[in-house]
Amino acid sequence: MEFQSIEEVMNRLEKVGYIASKQIATVVFLAAATKKPILVEGPAGSGKTELARALAKCLKRKKIRLQCYEGLDEAKALYEWEYAKQLLYTQMIKEKINDLLAGATSIAEAVERIADQEDAFFSERFILARPLLQAISSDNPVVLLIDEIDKADPEFEAFLLELLSDFQVSIPELGVKKAVHIPLVVLTSNNYRDMSDALKRRCIHLYIDYPKPELEKRIVGLKIPDIDSRLVDRLVSAVNNIRNLDLKKRPCISETLDWAQSLMVLQIDDLTPQVISDTLNVICKYKADADLVRAAAEKILCST
Amino acid sequence: MLDLIIRFSKACRSAGMRVSTSEVIDSVKQLEYIDVTDENRFKYLLRANFAKSRREQKNFDRLYDLFFHEKEPEKSPDPALQRHAEIRELIESFSGDAGQTPIDAALKAFLKGNPIPYITEMQRLETKNEYTPKGLKSNLGQLSSRLEVMLRINAMRNRLLNLPAQSGENAPEARHRAVDHLLKRLDAAYGMLTEESTPYNDGLKQIRTHKKHYSDIGERPFSSLSPREVAEMRDVIKQMIRKLKDRASRRWAARNKGVIDVRKTLRYAGRFQGIPIDIKYRNKRLRKAKIVTLCDVSGSVWSAARFMLNMLYSMQDCFSSVNSFAFVCATTDVTEIFEKNEVNQAIEKVMSNADIDFNALTDYGEVFFQFKRDHIHLLNKKTTIIIVGDGRSNYHNPRQDILAEMREKCRRIIWLNPEPEAFWGTGDSEMNTFKAFCHEVRPCRNLNQLIDFVEDLVM
Ligand SMILES: Nc1ncnc2c1ncn2[C@@H]1O[C@H](COP(=O)(O)OP(=O)(O)O)[C@@H](O)[C@H]1O
Ligand SMILES: [Mg+2]
Repeated sequence: MEFQSIEEVMNRLEKVGYIASKQIATVVFLAAATKKPILVEGPAGSGKTELARALAKCLKRKKIRLQCYEGLDEAKALYEWEYAKQLLYTQMIKEKINDLLAGATSIAEAVERIADQEDAFFSERFILARPLLQAISSDNPVVLLIDEIDKADPEFEAFLLELLSDFQVSIPELGVKKAVHIPLVVLTSNNYRDMSDALKRRCIHLYIDYPKPELEKRIVGLKIPDIDSRLVDRLVSAVNNIRNLDLKKRPCISETLDWAQSLMVLQIDDLTPQVISDTLNVICKYKADADLVRAAAEKILCST
Repeated sequence: MLDLIIRFSKACRSAGMRVSTSEVIDSVKQLEYIDVTDENRFKYLLRANFAKSRREQKNFDRLYDLFFHEKEPEKSPDPALQRHAEIRELIESFSGDAGQTPIDAALKAFLKGNPIPYITEMQRLETKNEYTPKGLKSNLGQLSSRLEVMLRINAMRNRLLNLPAQSGENAPEARHRAVDHLLKRLDAAYGMLTEESTPYNDGLKQIRTHKKHYSDIGERPFSSLSPREVAEMRDVIKQMIRKLKDRASRRWAARNKGVIDVRKTLRYAGRFQGIPIDIKYRNKRLRKAKIVTLCDVSGSVWSAARFMLNMLYSMQDCFSSVNSFAFVCATTDVTEIFEKNEVNQAIEKVMSNADIDFNALTDYGEVFFQFKRDHIHLLNKKTTIIIVGDGRSNYHNPRQDILAEMREKCRRIIWLNPEPEAFWGTGDSEMNTFKAFCHEVRPCRNLNQLIDFVEDLVM
């Protein structure tokens, strides 16, 4: 087994810069122990992609990432024949082909002879492995991150299902390829679309919310070690209050980190309404949001 | 432990969650790996296997608390065994009342520690159809059946509070604790009756601001337009649609050119000794949406619906198909009217359609029910459902369970509400319930908001 205990998951993740809640650690532990894919949901910036990165790092595995988007298909996700390379080879071995065809009395016979050689052209040499094929044919176990699966079309989800159920793919010209090692699979979703029941059944589910203040303080402390802890307290509680406002885009962990970083650079060691107003562009991407935060600055600070 | 988890899975299923056998088996297998005396871990484990989306987590948490936190008296480690005898005795005493209704039986099982029949009853109330003849509809169908349960709970509670004094030694103490326990259970049952059980809907896109495309007429609420202004509005829409179509077709053209198709290019080049004479592009097929609209045509909502339909049908070639339904308390297919007539004529025809009872009380539950019965086959993963309505259902059963089914079958549901957001959920508005099943909700009171919506839809 990769991890002996839930505590070990937490410790090893922390060593590579990821602070996991108990819930995250429990689900990761169970997924690793039973070799099930993890379906991670949560708001943008809550640490879904980062979890896969940290897992790969602490397991000393390679991370293979498949970024999903509308229109993603098998050719981009699994494999593609390298036509250009095949064409190049046919050019280079033209003479051999001519030899082969010498003496053929009809076109049908020539075609027949070429067809006999087809295997040479549809072999591993001419296959361009995309992330999914890479992940199952790797000699060492990997972490496979299928990022933002909700952006892919439902048809792609159905295709993925096959792979996730028996970790093998069939390539018509080559036969069935079975996974050398079952990868640790992390699928992430921002909830743009509901996943199908079938896909959900294959996975173990994890919801990552914005972290509790305690956890977020630890994250800030970990990433920016020399920050004053009183400032971190103020900052994290302010961010949490901001998240409760009715914003278009709520600030996520990386925005908390950016904010902390800018305050450090500006050598500001306390939050005041003026400071919030001056540094707002770090946490609010929209003007309407910034206005809302500015108007509520007093409230954001006082309920510390 | 196995037995416990199987029973819990049954409870989840009777509350409408989909927990498969394989998920139960997975959970049991995973139990080997963790220390089950750690309550949190136990819960995380079950949740990761039973509720596989954020949407389902709320229902899961509710059931988990109900099932594992209200300790079952028979299994409770409480050494005061007496209490259990006492509890059983008290529960049995309820049967002295008139005949057993299913609700009575379910409540008693609930008190004894088996919540499944009660959960099933609750689920039944939520998905119940009211087959009453038209016109005689009882206005408060779902509410009244809930009221019945509430009255039963209150009767039991009163009995417990007014028990005749009891003789015997330490009896009063045991009796006191038993009563206490049962009152708590009754509170839990009561709580289930009144709580909101709508799922989390984190992905909901809630539109709150809009661009000021037109001043004055753009901001005027649809419901306050004079006939002259309605005509003016139509002209403005015509202009605006022309511009929008232009932009849309340019975008389609650009998008469809797509990237170079290497395969095709090379295949073609093969004919000319490998010289890529002609660059081939990957022709992405048009991804036009299938639209299904459900429009409330009663009273004030109609003025919003008509302009929405006006725009939608003027942009028809941006969609692969448009099917439209008008409703008040029943669903009427008006697709054909729009296919056979010019848009504004079609709208007038809908208004004078004899099949629609414009004076009836709006009943969303019935409308969803009829849509499901007759038209659900129209939905697939390419369908966008657009509902125009205020969500005021005159206290009829809202049937959000059907809306949930529709959500599963389509790509997305967008709800346009002609009321300002501050009124959603007040009085008989079920908007907050319906909202939990939509992908997008927007107020749609004026032209500017409508333009934003249509732009978003076709661009
Ligand atoms: N638990 C965590 N521990 C440490 N850093 C975190 C944690 N969660 C999030 N972060 C930080 O937040 C950033 C954004 O997270 P990311 O994984 O990209 O979000 P998501 O994929 O959920 O949108 C990461 O780059 C990382 O620095
Ligand atoms: Mg991400």
